Amino acid sequence: MSYLLPHLHSGWAVDQSILAEEERLVVIRFGHDWDETCMQMDEVLASVAETIKNFAVIYLVDITEVPDFNTMYELYDPSTVMFFFRNKHIMIDLGTGNNNKINWALKDKQEFIDIIETVYRGARKGRGLVIAPKDYSTKYRY
Amino acid sequence: MVFLSIPNGKTLSIDVNPNSTTISAFEQLAHQRSDVPQSFLRYSLRMRNPSRVFVDSKDSDSILLSDLGVSRFSTVIIHVLLLGGMQAAPPKPRLDFLNSKPPSNYVAGLGRGATGFTTRSDIGPARAAPDLPDRSALATAAAPGVGRGAGKPSEAEAEDDEEAEEKRYDENQTFDEFEGNDVGLFANAEYDEDDKEADAIWESIDQRMDSRRKDRREAKLKEEIEKYRASNPKITEQFADLKRKLHTLSADEWDSIPEIGDYSLRNKKKKFESFVPIPDTLLEKAKKEKELVMALDPKSRAAGGSETPWGQTPVTDLTAVGEGRGTVLSLKLDNLSDSVSGQTVVDPKGYLTDLKSMKRTTDEEIYDRNRARLLYKSLTQSNPKNPNGWIAAARVEEVDGKIKAARFQIQRGCEECPKNEDVWLEACRLANPEDAKGVIAKGVKLIPNSVKLWLEAAKLEHDVENKSRVLRKGLEHIPDSVRLWKAVVELANEEDARILLHRAVECCPLHLELWVALARLETYAESKKVLNKAREKLPKEPAIWITAAKLEEANGKLDEANDNTAMVGKIIDRGIKTLQREGVVIDRENWMSEAEACERVGSVATCQAIIKNTIGIGVEEEDRKRTWVADADECKKRGSIETARAIYAHALSVFLTKKSIWLKAAQLEKSHGSRESLDALLRKAVTYVPQAEVLWLMGAKEKWLAGDVPAARAILQEAYAAIPNSEEIWLAAFKLEFENKEPERARMLLAKARERGGTERVWMKSAIVERELGNVEEERRLLNEGLKQFPTFFKLWLMLGQLEERFKHLEQARKAYDTGLKHCPHCIPLWLSLADLEEKVNGLNKARAILTTARKKNPGGAELWLAAIRAELRHDNKREAEHLMSKALQDCPKSGILWAADIEMAPRPRRKTKSIDAMKKCDRDPHVTIAVAKLFWQDKKVEKARAWFERAVTVGPDIGDFWALFYKFELQHGSDEDRKEVVAKCVACEPKHGEKWQAISKAVENAHQPIEVILKRVVNALSKEENSA
Repeated sequence: MSYLLPHLHSGWAVDQSILAEEERLVVIRFGHDWDETCMQMDEVLASVAETIKNFAVIYLVDITEVPDFNTMYELYDPSTVMFFFRNKHIMIDLGTGNNNKINWALKDKQEFIDIIETVYRGARKGRGLVIAPKDYSTKYRY
Repeated sequence: MVFLSIPNGKTLSIDVNPNSTTISAFEQLAHQRSDVPQSFLRYSLRMRNPSRVFVDSKDSDSILLSDLGVSRFSTVIIHVLLLGGMQAAPPKPRLDFLNSKPPSNYVAGLGRGATGFTTRSDIGPARAAPDLPDRSALATAAAPGVGRGAGKPSEAEAEDDEEAEEKRYDENQTFDEFEGNDVGLFANAEYDEDDKEADAIWESIDQRMDSRRKDRREAKLKEEIEKYRASNPKITEQFADLKRKLHTLSADEWDSIPEIGDYSLRNKKKKFESFVPIPDTLLEKAKKEKELVMALDPKSRAAGGSETPWGQTPVTDLTAVGEGRGTVLSLKLDNLSDSVSGQTVVDPKGYLTDLKSMKRTTDEEIYDRNRARLLYKSLTQSNPKNPNGWIAAARVEEVDGKIKAARFQIQRGCEECPKNEDVWLEACRLANPEDAKGVIAKGVKLIPNSVKLWLEAAKLEHDVENKSRVLRKGLEHIPDSVRLWKAVVELANEEDARILLHRAVECCPLHLELWVALARLETYAESKKVLNKAREKLPKEPAIWITAAKLEEANGKLDEANDNTAMVGKIIDRGIKTLQREGVVIDRENWMSEAEACERVGSVATCQAIIKNTIGIGVEEEDRKRTWVADADECKKRGSIETARAIYAHALSVFLTKKSIWLKAAQLEKSHGSRESLDALLRKAVTYVPQAEVLWLMGAKEKWLAGDVPAARAILQEAYAAIPNSEEIWLAAFKLEFENKEPERARMLLAKARERGGTERVWMKSAIVERELGNVEEERRLLNEGLKQFPTFFKLWLMLGQLEERFKHLEQARKAYDTGLKHCPHCIPLWLSLADLEEKVNGLNKARAILTTARKKNPGGAELWLAAIRAELRHDNKREAEHLMSKALQDCPKSGILWAADIEMAPRPRRKTKSIDAMKKCDRDPHVTIAVAKLFWQDKKVEKARAWFERAVTVGPDIGDFWALFYKFELQHGSDEDRKEVVAKCVACEPKHGEKWQAISKAVENAHQPIEVILKRVVNALSKEENSA
């Protein structure tokens, strides 16, 4: 479903996209369109994009085409979703130990919307770190 | 008409006449058309008309546009000062960046000041290492203009306030007053000709403004500096006047200026301070001291827990802290009791007790208990009819200190399994002491046939009457419970007990103990009846017969007139017969133990009767003697003397003529019986076995020891009559006379014996008597005669040699020894005496030769080796002695004497290793043992030495030397008791051998001395020897 979402083809474009949004949250998915995990993630992203358009905008970045952020944002995982608000990286405590990003494919749309809403609300209040509505630590998976 | 070019690139036309329109009017029009605020409009006029004076805004009403050089159809360009950022940004389409090309050299992320993070240190840092310098360099390269608003960084000197402010953010290019760090935002704006022109204009304005106020400002600055200097003068200036005077100082004054000390903080000596962390052990200890043991033991719980157990309060409570805490607590309790309602909310005493019963538990314990609790909960839920689950659950709660919960659990258990007595017992145990009775009452109501419950119920009662009442109630339900009967009888007094027992034997007639108890309580006649009844009921029970026999015996004892011993025998006899008829197997062992039991309670007659009747049962004819003797030995060992005596008596009645049994019986009497009983026994023995001389001798000796010499003499005479040719009896008679200072009688006896053809011993004894009496000639005559008859008896030769030696007839002595050796060449004492003699007469060489021949004739003669070694040592040939010793040890490696000598010969440090070797070679040898004991003695290890001495004298009790050494040791290290003990033991053992011992005991002057005296003399000789050495 990646074709439904705007792609950013350069580091400059990524920066500009982050800078351009004043009132909305910028959600960027780093990864590859052909990657299985990314496909799952993109499915969710594409389906919620219209729903959340009033407070968040979603972009996709191919990390092979744009390797500029690989070191800076530690983009080792197949799929990484990060949030920015007014040129500020918003961290989110998901319970996984990595508060910087969502580095797995979230398959539940409502969960994702909830997360984005939480991030947006926190970011609006000037928070740099928000706490996800659900704990995604592995101990609850089993 | 004037054209207006506005910043967005459009051109507007304003229909005005420049020659008649003032600047302010034009400004208003421009504001209406272009939305640029009026106050923002300035005029850059120099280019057109530099001669014009700058127009200030205040006189803009009077100046016309034409004055500024604006004519018809001229274009007025409005440049907007970039004082605020937003209004200047060109409104680009939103997603423009998606398609537009990025600027060259753009570093992603830097443009918006993004920073990375490091979460995965294992993979590496997220940021590129040469990050910061790179970034600033690129930033300047990428944004040459940095935005139009920023002033030029050059000619920053001496500008007005506005310029100074701008300069500040020029220095820090990344910072912008309006955009913060986001200067890169407008880095993409193009720097075109217009910009250049505008910059030039602004520059000129700046220069002008600068020059206009320059003088004034510089003056002001100068003034300020002056002012500052005046208020903060330099140190050199301050002391300048003083310094000037220094040239008047003389050299002496210079020298007398005191040296400044070193007062710097750095050199100040630091005080020794060290901060050592408190060790954990100390903390732990402190913690333990404060800790109170809060567990309440079951005893105090049983007391009701209503009062504070003061005895349990630990001592640490007395500390001030404890007191303080107590005060606070009591205050709190007072407050509670004085609550509004006037009634006590908390019982203070109970509260304190609760506090005491609090238990501190570790986390693991709690965890374990919780697990156990869960487990039992599931157990009781899944299987509520299982009583064990309930009991266990209750116990868990109890261990946890939750006694209430425990009671609750067990109560539920009682409800679930009302027919289980264990549950009820547990419930009773857990219940309050007050409630326990109620619980047990419920229990017995539900299970009236449970003996355990009844007994528990009785236990709960405190006074005897209630107890027996409960038990009787129980007996109503279970009349055949022996345990209940017993319990009830135990509680009752004698009279009641008898009645109760009557009833009991009716109810449980098959229980022996009740019968026996009843019989014991009844009178003689009654108990006879009782036992008869019992016998009817329990025909196979031997205990009844035994009890009956005992009864008879006891009755006989009470009533001297008719001795029922025969009756006892009859009863046992009949009993055994009856039992055999009933088919009961008579187990001899059992009966014998019964007999012993009878002996222990004092029923000797019964015991004897039992033995008499049962000892022969089940024993083969040929085994009888052996078995009985063994039995008697066993009994003796167990201390059952009467039983043993009875066994012997029975055995002797069967084997009248067996000497060995008589001897055993005599020994038993000697060790455990009285002198009279022994005497009687021996008398009987010699009448039945007159040819046993041992028995005669024993009897005589007993008499002699009792001091009755004539009686002894009489016995010996009888013995002599019975066994006329017994040399033993002759010698015994001689000894009796000799020891009792009757040498004449002794001599006569010996003469008679010689006539009757006595053996060599008789001859020797005769010679000894003569020696003692000093009749040398007679002695020599006897010896010679004796030797004629018994030339191979070496003792006679020895005596002869010694006789000659005594009178310094050394030549004769040597002749005696030589002839002796011819007759008995394997007699080591003879060789030794000869060698000794030769050493005295002819010196070492001769002795050496003799000993060598002796060794050749008697290989393996350790004494010969030892004599040779000693001879060498006497002549200080130490090396020769050692050489001999090694040879000797090769020849007789198992000889304890040699090893002992070797140990003593060795230098002190090597003695230990030698002794270990010796112990390996001959472990149980008394000589080695004594050598080791001596070693310990020398090392002052008293306890060990004593232990080894004791070992030595037990292994070789016959060797007097050891006893002497032991005694000497005790003299040095032991107490009086120890010494006495040694002497007593020595006397009991009657030692006869040992080098030193024999030398002293055989000496003529010591002939009749008791052992004790000889012992002391040997000790004296030993110490003399030691002193001389």
